[in-house]
Amino acid sequence: MSSTRRRPATLRRVILTVAAALILFIWAFPVLWAVVVSLKSESEVLAYPPSVIFEPTLRNFRDALTGNLSIASSLMTSIILATATTVLTIILAVPAAYAFARLRLPARQGLGFYTLVTQMIPPVGLVIPYYLILNRVGLLDTYTGMITVYLTFSLPFAIWLMVSYLEDIPREMEEAAYLDKASRLQALWHVILPQIRGGIGVTTVFVFLNAWNEFLFAVQLGGNRIRPVTVAMHNFVSIEQTLWAKLAAAALVAMLPVIVIGILAQRQIVKGLTVGAVKGGGRR
Amino acid sequence: MTTRAITQGEVILEGIVKNYGTFRALKGIDLRIAPGEFFALLGPSGSGKSTTLRVIAGLEVPDAGRMLVDGTEMTFAPPGERNVAMVFQNYALYPHMTLEQNIGFPLKMDGVPKAEIAARVQDAARKVRIDHLLARRPGQLSGGQQQRTALARAIVREPRLFLLDEPLSNLDAQLRLETRIELKRLHASLGVTTIYVTHDQEEAMTIADRMAVFRDGEIMQIGAPAEVFGRPDTLDVAAFIGSPPMNLIPARIEGGEAHFPGWRLALPGAPAGDVVVGVRPGRIRLADDGLPGKLLLSENLGEAMLLNVDVDGTLVKLRLPDVSPIAEGTAVRLAFDGSDILLFDPETRRRLDWPEMESRP
Repeated sequence: MSSTRRRPATLRRVILTVAAALILFIWAFPVLWAVVVSLKSESEVLAYPPSVIFEPTLRNFRDALTGNLSIASSLMTSIILATATTVLTIILAVPAAYAFARLRLPARQGLGFYTLVTQMIPPVGLVIPYYLILNRVGLLDTYTGMITVYLTFSLPFAIWLMVSYLEDIPREMEEAAYLDKASRLQALWHVILPQIRGGIGVTTVFVFLNAWNEFLFAVQLGGNRIRPVTVAMHNFVSIEQTLWAKLAAAALVAMLPVIVIGILAQRQIVKGLTVGAVKGGGRR
Repeated sequence: MTTRAITQGEVILEGIVKNYGTFRALKGIDLRIAPGEFFALLGPSGSGKSTTLRVIAGLEVPDAGRMLVDGTEMTFAPPGERNVAMVFQNYALYPHMTLEQNIGFPLKMDGVPKAEIAARVQDAARKVRIDHLLARRPGQLSGGQQQRTALARAIVREPRLFLLDEPLSNLDAQLRLETRIELKRLHASLGVTTIYVTHDQEEAMTIADRMAVFRDGEIMQIGAPAEVFGRPDTLDVAAFIGSPPMNLIPARIEGGEAHFPGWRLALPGAPAGDVVVGVRPGRIRLADDGLPGKLLLSENLGEAMLLNVDVDGTLVKLRLPDVSPIAEGTAVRLAFDGSDILLFDPETRRRLDWPEMESRP
């Protein structure tokens, strides 16, 4: 009896698994390709027909990290840029979002709109103004300049993401805390923040990845000192030749922090996306 | 644990006004709640009862008027300084904390030592019979258990006021009846002044010592449930209290008689003029001589029959103990006694009293 009833479920699972595997393969293909290329020698990469069987080598990784075209210092630059942008964004965005979500500010609507305006302008239209401004104040090719520019994009995004998480928390929960003798800050710390941990996690990941992947501003507003890994990747592309194998190795190294963060934050992200599923949480 | 004589928990509201933009939510609320009283704020949604409770809690600051608790002005005191505990309609439990942490939260905020918190949480949890669930989180509980947790969080602090905002409305009917009794029992054992907001008049009638009936941001009447039920001050209260509420039938008083279309009822001493006659559904009977009408619908309530009768364009409901069916469309005659009715002035909407009426039991 139970086997006949179970069959459709099993079939469903098989179809879903196959579909998921197929989608995963399509999405993962460029990465797999990069892995294969990074393990070949430069001449093997260009061989036609492509060699399926080859002797894998880690030389490209060594060259990408320690050779004369090394991206090692750029990796450090990217880490500093992305981390500083993320930390500052979260520290500023959470209180700002709380104010938007909860306080009766006189200019709330207007401020909300102007916060979003920056998101409506295509970045390419801002490159030249930013260049002129940073040049004038002497912040071209500096961490301060780059991080400031990154904040103009990450903050509005983070504020609005956090507002949606905060608005999901019933006001009564905070009011209950006030009646329980908590101050506004204590209510924020003990009652609100623990409930938006998932949201903060999601925001952190998005902001970090955006800063890590950023190229346009980095290439225009950076320089010899501030040369994040997205720009440094071009070390391996020149007029005479493109060093595909080393480029692939460098790309994989640059991907690593992203993958690590994704794995670490996975639990928080899932939590952040399923917020509101708590039974009887009184969510409106 | 301290034991208290019921001398504290007196609440006085004087001329409380609250506006939301141009909307006047409270139009001057005057109220005195005695120490230890179980007091219900009753009214339809939007009538201002919840806003009044929030003013008492300190979650809303009134635009005019003042509030005194035990003789001390508290109008602008922040919620945490009022020593009041509130149970919210949706319970407002903290989902990321265990029950133990939820119930202990007010004590933690108050700087109570950890060992004492644990003991008092146990004690409060035992009173509402959830002491076996303390390690769980709110999401793992049934609605009834969540409700008890909210109660435990309120009683753990030994506040001088309990504020309950529709605490039973999220429970199913059976549980609601049980919890109602439990709330009453809890109030009797703790003796703390309890202010209870509800839109359910049956709940207010059964549970409260006294109640205030709200409508459109004003209090229509304050009194013990039996008083409000027996002698509603206005047409609006009469039309709200009772299930089904009082029938309101237009008539004319002339020469000590109430003149209805097709029937007259002796009302010695009643003031002449146009009136609205109020009579409870249970006080009307079918008779050979009475108010002529046509039966629209009969509803079988199990132990009684509820008849809906059209009397010259007015819907009159009567409850009969006899459950034998009557065909719809039948012409019927309704009668009631002069001692069972109230008169209201259709202009002022207030109850009309006259000497003979005052003297009846």
